Order: sequence, then structure tokens, then C-alpha cells
Amino acid sequence: MNRIGDNATVTAGLSLKRVHKSFGSIEVLKDINLNIKGGEFVVFVGPSGCGKSTLLRLIAGLEEVTAGEIIISGRDVTDTDPSRRGIAMVFQSYALYPHMSVAENMGFSLKVARRPKDELRRKVEKAAGTLRLTDYLDRRPGQLSGGQRQRVAIGRAIVRDPDVFLFDEPLSNLDAELRVEMRIEIARLHRELGNTMVYVTHDQTEAMTLADKIVVLRAGRIEQVGTREELYDDPDNIFVAGFIGSPKMNFFSARLDGGEIEIGGHRLPGPAVKTLSKGEITLGVRPEHLRLAEKGEPFFPFRVKFAEFLGGATYLYGDVGDGALCTIASDRKTQAKAGTELRVMADPKFMTAFDDKGVRVR
Amino acid sequence: MPAQTDISDSILEVPPPRRRRRRDWTGLLYVAPALVLVAVFFLIPLGMSIWMSFHAWPLIGVPRWIGLDNYARLWGDTSFWSALVFTIQYTIAATVGLLGVAFVLALMVQGEGRAIAFYRTAYFLPVVTGFASASLLWAWLSNVDAGLFSPLAQDLGMTDGRVNILATFTPAFWSVTIMVIWKMAGFYMVIIMSGLQAIPTDYQEAARIDGASWGQRFRWITLPLIRRPFALALILAVAGSMLAFDQFYIILNGGPQNQTVTVVYRIFNESFVSFRLGYGAALSVVLLVILLVLSVVQLWLLRDKGDQS
Repeated sequence: MNRIGDNATVTAGLSLKRVHKSFGSIEVLKDINLNIKGGEFVVFVGPSGCGKSTLLRLIAGLEEVTAGEIIISGRDVTDTDPSRRGIAMVFQSYALYPHMSVAENMGFSLKVARRPKDELRRKVEKAAGTLRLTDYLDRRPGQLSGGQRQRVAIGRAIVRDPDVFLFDEPLSNLDAELRVEMRIEIARLHRELGNTMVYVTHDQTEAMTLADKIVVLRAGRIEQVGTREELYDDPDNIFVAGFIGSPKMNFFSARLDGGEIEIGGHRLPGPAVKTLSKGEITLGVRPEHLRLAEKGEPFFPFRVKFAEFLGGATYLYGDVGDGALCTIASDRKTQAKAGTELRVMADPKFMTAFDDKGVRVR
Repeated sequence: MPAQTDISDSILEVPPPRRRRRRDWTGLLYVAPALVLVAVFFLIPLGMSIWMSFHAWPLIGVPRWIGLDNYARLWGDTSFWSALVFTIQYTIAATVGLLGVAFVLALMVQGEGRAIAFYRTAYFLPVVTGFASASLLWAWLSNVDAGLFSPLAQDLGMTDGRVNILATFTPAFWSVTIMVIWKMAGFYMVIIMSGLQAIPTDYQEAARIDGASWGQRFRWITLPLIRRPFALALILAVAGSMLAFDQFYIILNGGPQNQTVTVVYRIFNESFVSFRLGYGAALSVVLLVILLVLSVVQLWLLRDKGDQS
């Protein structure tokens, strides 16, 4: 985490001020305010249609903002041409020019800027070295594997030497194994280059593994901004709580009464909530925080429907008394058959409470 | 630890592969209609033409085998060679004009929108008129007395008195060429437009971020990526122009002073005016060979150099 501060003075930051975007009468982004420090790795995450890719395209300059300002490196670039914003973008489709070799693809920005040939060659070779592409410089994109194409697309961005890297779902066209590999590669690049990176994905795992700062978007609004720990441990609302984390957080209808809660007729110690002492809430508990109750401990019943053995852990899927679906991440020793009823409970400090609008009550 | 036991030593017999070549004749059946069409309308007439070209073949009377005499005579036939020179001249003018106009139109109508759809249709509309009807329309428009161009030019004060644009070679030639461009540009527009639309917008956006201007994107992204549809349009335009006949026959009657007689016009004259069917066939065969060579050259010039690896 210390790394963010190290680069803040050297590399450029990015600010969005009251950014709106409408396509015709449809407002896709509403009042986006965001500050990204220089050198930070920021991930925009959200379900499809939440406006995260549009937001990235606004930063890139491929779409014009309807209202608001975009500031990169302290410079207002709201009306600046994409090529003059100090950004480089890696597309989901890679967008490699199919009729050019790898070297020509990577050097294209320098070629159109009419830079000297030896500078072009030097920069392309350096980027190719960083990305282990040196042996492929004469190939066409069509002759490369998915992972290699991905690296060429990143190489093309590196050659531009931008202040800010923009990634638009760069790993979604790769298979699972390669995705993990490239994720590590991108993290390594960020460490080596130290640039500001903005990364769009719908995959919360990518967000959690890569980001210094996660921006959760839904329906054109920012739901929460924070580090992965903040978002995971202290979500602002039920959407963020449900979106971040895999398997998902469990939600139960519960009644808060003093320090206790009631789930399906069973009372147990509840979360510390200062603003509310009595009333209906939605209780959120992460699967790994549910455990089997000891003898004599308060509990609520959980009926196993299906058990998934994953080697290191076992996921138990089922429902609680009132029919709400529930997942428990247990250790591998828990071997419960379908139909078994278990007594489970959770430590009150791991419980989160949400009001009827889905907003966190603390 | 091996995951599976090695059984290779215990195998006695491998079952024979089933379903061998059972479907060969079905495939042939499926392509048969196409083969029959090609045979009846292309291969057999082609063979007959070649056969005829070795004969003195009058319309009425008995054909007489004369071997290569028709081809020998063709070698010294200046009227044929001048027709060929004129046809090539016309082909160059028409092809450059057609593809140039088609390209501009395609760039204009490649987007989305109701107005664009209207223009797309409007530009394509002349394509569906016949060459003969378009020629008749143009013959009327170009008429010195009853037409449009000459009286209009006079009324606007652009010319002193009526100028017959069909009476001298240059205006007559360009008049016909412009008619062809008006009539056919929409067709090539569609071919090139489909090529333009097939280029993913990501490429253009990536190039924009790379700092390429409109002109640079056109030169380095758009042009190379529409090579194939462009090659198709070029070959169709060249072949179509090399076979030009109707427009010169209807509008100009080969005039003024037989300066606008194309090769096909020449073949028509030999075969159906002078009734030297054998000689006409020999001219056709030579034209076919010329077209074949031209098409091969064009395909070679526009080949994708990356394809061979």
C-alpha cells in the first residue's frame, strides 16, 4: 500500500468533476466525482450496463461528456483530442491492426507522429522486452495466441509512454488460466512502470486482486469508492456488500431488538448498531463468517441442499428457517449431506445491517 | 503415478472406422444444379465459340473449316485494334470515375440514421434501371434540340447557341462516361460500403488514441482493410467496362466518325451486321483472354502480402 504514496509526486493523477453523460434522452452517467492519485491502480467495477465502460471512454476522449470536467495531470482535458490527453488505452478486443506486424502495431503512434525511425525501433524493442514479445515482432496479430495479442495491445500502450493507462475489460477474452497469468502480469507492469492505471471490469475478483482503489458503479452512479478491505469489510450499502466477495454475502430478513436480532423466530446476539435500536433490517453475513454453533450457544437453523467440496474448503448451499438462501464457507472436514439441518451462528462483529432502502445502518 | 494403466500391449484388434466415403455422391448431387447451369450457359457456349472461331461461318450456308485463318486476319485488322484501344481508354476513364465516386459515396453513407438510409437508396436507385433505358434517357437528355443539356447551357449563357455535345468525340465520350458513372456508382458504393462497415470501430478508435489524423487513419487503417472488397469492385468495373456496348450503340451509334466503337460493338457488327459469325467468335475469344489476363493481374496486384505465410 505504501507504494501509492511513493509515485504520487512523480506521476500524474486524474480527476472527474460532476461528470454527466447522456445518449439522447438516456442518462447513463450521473454526477460522477472522483479523484485518482498519481500512480494509483483504480478499478471500475459493476454489473453490465452500469456505465463503467462509458466512463472510461469519456476519460479517453472517445465520447464527449454532456457536462462536467475531466482533469489529467492537473490539466483540463475535457475538450482535448484523445491523442493529446496523455492516455493510452487497451481495448477489450485488443483492436490490433490486422494488416500490420507486431512491431508496426506497437510503433504506430510514433509513426503517425513522424518520429525518427531509430527512436521508434528503440522504444518498440524496449516495450517488447518488457512484455517478452521480442521473438514475435515480425508476426501478424492473426498468428498470435490470445495472451500474446493481449501483450501486444499493452505494448502499444507502453510505447506511447502515457500518464494514464486505460484498460477496458482487457482479460474477458482469455481463458481462465491465462486470465490469472495476465492479471499477475498487469500487476507487475504497474509495479515496474508506476503509472496511473484505470481498469474496467465486471469481475469483482479482478477488482479485488489488482486494485489500490475500487470504484463500484451501478446504473450510472458511484455506489462506493474505497480500498478492497474497506469495500469488503465495511460496505456502504447492500449492493456493494453483495457485489464484492465470492461467494456472495448472505442476506436475511431480521428484526433488531436492543442488542439482539431475531431470524426466523430464533434470537441471537446482534450487530452493534448505534442509529437504530428496534426495527426490521436486512442482515448481511459473509459465508466464511457463518459457523456451526457450539452446544448451548444461540443459533438459527440452516438446511443443507447441496455441498460443494473444493479441496481447501467446502461450500454449503441451503436455506434458513424463513426460506432465505444461504451459503456457508466451511472447512473441508464439514461433510454435510443434503437435507441435514445444522445449527449455525455468526459473531456479531461480522454482521452488517441494512435498512429497507438497502443503506447500511451502523 | 500414472493416471491410467497402459493397455497398449493388450490390444488385439482395433475396430475399423465406420462411415467411409459414403456421402461422396450426395455432395455431387448438391452441386449438380450449379454445374448444369455453368455448363449450359458458360462452358458449352464457350466451347462452341472456340469451335466457330476456326470456321468461316455464314448465317445461312455451310460452315467451312479454316483453322487459324480468323486469328491471322485479326492480327492485321486495324479496326479491331483501334476498337480495343478505345475500349481501354474508356475502361480507364470509367473505372477511375466509378470507383472514385463510389468511394466518396460509400464514405458518406456508411453510417447509421434515417437520412443516410434515404441517400443510400437514392444513390443506388439508378443501378436498377437497365443499361438500355438509361442510355435512351441519356440520348434524349443529350439531344441537341429536344434534350436538356444543350438548351440549358444556352439558356444559362454558358454557350453561344446550341452545341451538339454528341457531334464531337470529347464531349460525346465524357457524356457517355458520366452516364455510366451516374448509373453504376451506386453498385460499387454498396460493395465498398460493406467493406467499410466490416472494419471494427475499435481500430479507428485505437488509431485516434494513437494520434492518427483522419487522413492517416484513412491511408493506414481504412484503405488496407478494404483491399478485398476493393479488388472485387475493381475487377467488376474493369470487366464491365471492357464489355461496354449498349451505351455507345444507343447514344452514339459508334459515332462520331466511328470513334466510339468498342470491342463488343465490333464483335456485334462482324457477327450480326456483316454475318461473319466465325470471325466474330474469334474476336470474342481474344477478348475473353484479354479479360482473363487483366483479372489475374489485378488480383496479383491487390493480393494480401501477409496471406502467404
